[in-house]
Amino acid sequence: MSQQSTKKGELDLPVSLRYKETRREKNGVFFRKKVGWLFVIISVIAITIFNFYPMVQAFLLSFQSGMGGNLEYVGFNNWQRLFGDPTFIAALTNTSIYLLIQVPLMIVLALFFSVLLNDPKLKFRGFFRIAIFLPCVTSLVAYSVIFKYLFGIDGIINQFLLNFGFISQTINFLADPFWAKVVIILAITWRWTGYNMIFYLAALQNVDKSIYEAARIDGANAFQQFFQITVPMLKPIILFTSITSTIGTLQIFDEIVNITNGGPGNATISISQYIYNLSFEYTPDFGYASTVSYVIVILVVILSIIQFRVAGEKK
Amino acid sequence: MKKFYLMLVLLVGMAVLAACSSGDEEASGGSSEGSSSVDTITAWAWDPAFNIAALEKAKEAYSGDGDFEVNIIENAQDDIIQKLNTGLSSGTTKGMPNIVLIEDYRAQSFLQAYPDAFHPLTDVINSNDFADYKIATTSFDGEQYGLPFDSGVAGLYVRTDYLEEAGYTPEDLTNITWDEYIEIGKKVKEATGKNMLTLDPNDLGQIRMMIQTNGSWYVDEDGSTPNLAGNESLEKAFETYKKMMDADIGKIVSDWSQFVGAFNSGDVASVPTGNWITPSIKQAADQSGKWAVVPMPRLDMEGAVNASNLGGSSWYILNVDGKEQAADFMLNTFGSNVDLYQTLVKDIGALGTYSAAAEGDAYAVEDEFFGGQQLLSDLSSWTDEIPGVNYGLHTYAIEDILVTGMQDYLNGTELKTVLENVQGQAEAQLK
Repeated sequence: MSQQSTKKGELDLPVSLRYKETRREKNGVFFRKKVGWLFVIISVIAITIFNFYPMVQAFLLSFQSGMGGNLEYVGFNNWQRLFGDPTFIAALTNTSIYLLIQVPLMIVLALFFSVLLNDPKLKFRGFFRIAIFLPCVTSLVAYSVIFKYLFGIDGIINQFLLNFGFISQTINFLADPFWAKVVIILAITWRWTGYNMIFYLAALQNVDKSIYEAARIDGANAFQQFFQITVPMLKPIILFTSITSTIGTLQIFDEIVNITNGGPGNATISISQYIYNLSFEYTPDFGYASTVSYVIVILVVILSIIQFRVAGEKK
Repeated sequence: MKKFYLMLVLLVGMAVLAACSSGDEEASGGSSEGSSSVDTITAWAWDPAFNIAALEKAKEAYSGDGDFEVNIIENAQDDIIQKLNTGLSSGTTKGMPNIVLIEDYRAQSFLQAYPDAFHPLTDVINSNDFADYKIATTSFDGEQYGLPFDSGVAGLYVRTDYLEEAGYTPEDLTNITWDEYIEIGKKVKEATGKNMLTLDPNDLGQIRMMIQTNGSWYVDEDGSTPNLAGNESLEKAFETYKKMMDADIGKIVSDWSQFVGAFNSGDVASVPTGNWITPSIKQAADQSGKWAVVPMPRLDMEGAVNASNLGGSSWYILNVDGKEQAADFMLNTFGSNVDLYQTLVKDIGALGTYSAAAEGDAYAVEDEFFGGQQLLSDLSSWTDEIPGVNYGLHTYAIEDILVTGMQDYLNGTELKTVLENVQGQAEAQLK
């Protein structure tokens, strides 16, 4: 689309001028490239210093171990240690559970809401959009604390269930390994659904209305329209949101620390919280902590490749 | 080709940076050796109502010959731990304080993880002046590093009115075992419907207090070998914990505010914990006169005493410029000033571990809230009986493993199996 319009614009110019333009381009191509590099080099250096250099250092650190400042190279010991470390395995399992349940749930919900809110006949659209997006602007800690109190043993959820006779005895959500995970998943879903919804809403604006019109004329019902038109049209955005959500969930920290602090036992501990514990809660072992961090990196890479393969373009 | 250039730029950049960083390390290593005086010494601590207030009082009381300002900075304890860890491990002393407060359970890990980062006080203070049990955790490798500060001496805070309803007096709870405590708890629940205590399944402070009554800990004397499987005190403590659960005398809480809320709202008949809870107990002004404090119950074993500890912290001086001045400041305040300790007790209720201070008048004050009990002198006399243990390096790491073990045990796994499991896990994790 955009290419076509520029071509149209160029066509307005006299033919001679267009030729001059190309010749000048040819002469200055080397100079231009240099200038281009000058612009890029600043960010290249900054990214190198602040991103790549720490990454390499952290990778080297993942082969060291020791208390605090007394680090020494231990080869692959840290990586071996991972497999025999029950806390790490618990953290990995929990994080995978959050990932497998929460990300699909949130993506589907976000898609569902965005389609509903995209309906031009809906009244108070703006209000509903804001209402669903609003959780995203709340502070992670603040909302976590609120969730903790909502689900506390004297919390409003228990009161509600009790008063309406759904349960006969209060449930200690946060002290039960199963319910604690449910609370965490509910909390993250509440916080991030609106965020993903905004991407879908934006993408839906770009879907040509005439496609839906044609589908309706052909007799497609709402479900068919959703699965045959909306989902395929939003495919790149769904891929993007599922990758960012996957990365986000793998790094989950604030909610866990504030709602359950990893408990009961290790029932809700996440990988990031374990990294924190290894560095600051226990006698610090920054080497092992960075090994665990690299596990997240590896997981993100693997999961992203899988998602690209499954959902991405074939080429 | 472009990609090749990009990679080249990256590699060169990294090489340059790597070279820079190693140069820095050498430079900073050299400069920290020298000692020169400074105009301002900085102190980090947490809790404005307690530690910070104590520092302010010390600053007022300081009469040494040092000509410097004391800059007191309040940080959350978690922040102090993070800042110390990141600062000390990077090898730079920039931005580090001169004086820092460290929790006793964490002290050994700092002292061992960053040797030379702390200034020894062996020649500055006399460690015999302080409560014995504080010395093991504040010293390392024959050197005294910490200046013992607040006492975590534990007491059993009891509601006298609830006990009376069940036919007991505080004397009946004095110097008892945990088993006797549970029996009383059952009766109290029968008579009043109130739980005897709060239990937080994620915080095994209860277990720590129990095993210290018998001079035992999660680790061996060396401070690093996990001592869980076959640790009789720990077995007994686990059994006692389960008995409390089975007897249904514990109200389950999951965080600090629920814990405080439980006794402030009168939901529990007793609170076994560190003496630093006193201000929180007194928050409920309407309960004045209804409380008493008795010695901690002991484990029903040979050698166990009715005294224990929970928490507590000590001052440390970092090995940076101004360490002599900081040491002088500490010696002339927390290290020897009896009057200062009287002020601390009177104005903030902060109980120190400086033995000579306990003879002062302020300690003999009768506390109306606790029915006229001489609370402070009672607490400080129990302080002297606390069995000293080396908390070692791994208190919190092991506790996180034990919490899971406790869940298994409460869910019916054999105690022996549970403790063998946690021993194995701890050994694997704490290599």
